[in-house]
Amino acid sequence: MKYWWKILGVLLLTYTFVFGLLTPLKTGITGATPYSLKAGQTQVVTVTGYNSFFTKEKEKLRAWLKSGNDLALAAKSIEVVDDRTAKLTFDLPAHLPTNSKVKDFTLLIDSPADGASILPGGISITQDSVNQALGSQLWSQSPIAELHEKQAITFPFRNILGETIRNTYYHVPMWMAMFIIFIGAVTFSIKYLAKGEADFDRKAMALTNVGLMLGLLGLVTGAIWAKHTWGKYWSWDVKQNMTAIAMLIYGAYFVLRASFDDPEKKARVSAVFNIFAFASLVPLIYIIPKLTDSLHPGAGGNIAFGSEDLDNTMRMVFYPAIIGWALLGLWIGQVILRSARLRDRLLDT
Amino acid sequence: MNLFAQIMHLLHKEITLEWRQRYAISGILLYVLSTVFIVYISFQNISPQVWNVLFWVIMLFASVNAVMKSFVQESGYRQLYYFQLLHPIAILLSKMIYNALLLLVLGVLTYVALSFVAGNPVQEAGSFALALFLGSTGFSITFTFVSAIAAKADNSSTLMAILSFPVVIPILLLLVNLSAHSIGLLGGTDIGDKIMLLGAVDLILVALGLVLFPFLWRD
Repeated sequence: MKYWWKILGVLLLTYTFVFGLLTPLKTGITGATPYSLKAGQTQVVTVTGYNSFFTKEKEKLRAWLKSGNDLALAAKSIEVVDDRTAKLTFDLPAHLPTNSKVKDFTLLIDSPADGASILPGGISITQDSVNQALGSQLWSQSPIAELHEKQAITFPFRNILGETIRNTYYHVPMWMAMFIIFIGAVTFSIKYLAKGEADFDRKAMALTNVGLMLGLLGLVTGAIWAKHTWGKYWSWDVKQNMTAIAMLIYGAYFVLRASFDDPEKKARVSAVFNIFAFASLVPLIYIIPKLTDSLHPGAGGNIAFGSEDLDNTMRMVFYPAIIGWALLGLWIGQVILRSARLRDRLLDT
Repeated sequence: MNLFAQIMHLLHKEITLEWRQRYAISGILLYVLSTVFIVYISFQNISPQVWNVLFWVIMLFASVNAVMKSFVQESGYRQLYYFQLLHPIAILLSKMIYNALLLLVLGVLTYVALSFVAGNPVQEAGSFALALFLGSTGFSITFTFVSAIAAKADNSSTLMAILSFPVVIPILLLLVNLSAHSIGLLGGTDIGDKIMLLGAVDLILVALGLVLFPFLWRD
């Protein structure tokens, strides 16, 4: 099996597309109205669920308003309207467990069918008089207990991300595949300078081509994702800017190649530039974004991948996706390499 | 001749040539003065933030013009002559040192000219001088090496800009941050790691240049 890696790449990507796009998200809460309540009153909150099945075992549905791990207030009664809507009635005590007038609470709903789902900081309550000790006492009467886990294969639900969380299998792995491919291209450039065989230069050119393509795809998928989560295609985020510059550098590589007639000179000079460009790419993409605030995860106080954003189900798709995109890139690179070899052979005769 | 003596000889040659002809340095000087003047009449009122950015943008374009000639304008015969006599590292290093000195002079001139027409917002002279020093070294290293690459091609002046601007942007960003600190725009932040990073980028680029130049050199 000479072409096992091509088959593997296609299989991995098929798996990524099927599993990554068809697996449902966990149950989530997308909204609660009214979101601003007053202490000391009995108030009804209408909750909108996402992928939720409130009508299943609806007598076992439970809900809390919570703050931290200890303070919680259970809903007095729950009226299920349909699978996606429920009305929660809270008997709010007169005092809140805080020193200020306003406090944000997290809404938590638990059901045997859907498991536990939360709306972080979704409800804010105002109080007239401040009494923290009494408030803490009032808010620890109904502790949260016996939460359910959803028994199905799901991806996590995040409030702003929603379904776009699936882009983790395209945007991020394309980046990593791009980097793997660029490392390969630089290796061939170094080999060319050491040995001087024309084929190494063609390999470096083919891989740089593919890397540039993966980089542009990563940029486009990232921009679409940014439109949904940050509100704009281009937010002048430091990583976006650095990436655009990196693409300019590699674009310059091809302009440089095009300006030579002598193939030996072209190969030598572009190999030198490729190594030089790669060395300036590393601080561009990995060091400078870490020094400045970024909207990306893992910078400026945002959550990084690996903590709670990437759970084990997502890892099962994420890692194969990296290998899949890298192998597909290698395949495209091989096609470019062959056509370059043929062109050079035609030009020689 | 050992490497050090070769570098000193070449430096001496560059400076003597510059001193005898003087058209390059006076051309760059006029370039900076007219740019500063154009900037002044189009902006009128320049805030410290704009001052900072303008200073580095003027420096960037003046540097590209100043350094471009280092390899592009050397004739083929003289290159051949050097090739027989000298070690390639000596040639690259002497050009880099000479250009760094030239850009330092250029930076001071730009600073004086811009301060003359638009006021001097610099509060910490020490850290601004450091930014100027690191900046001229970084620009000199990058532009000298890129000019060596561009000199091999036919339309080298276009290539010079295309190849060098993206590569120099990380250095430029760090420099703008560093001098914004000395102007007092980023009070209270730590600049130690930015200086370290700038130094590290400069060192990596010099090391790479020294390793790669012998390959570029032989024709």
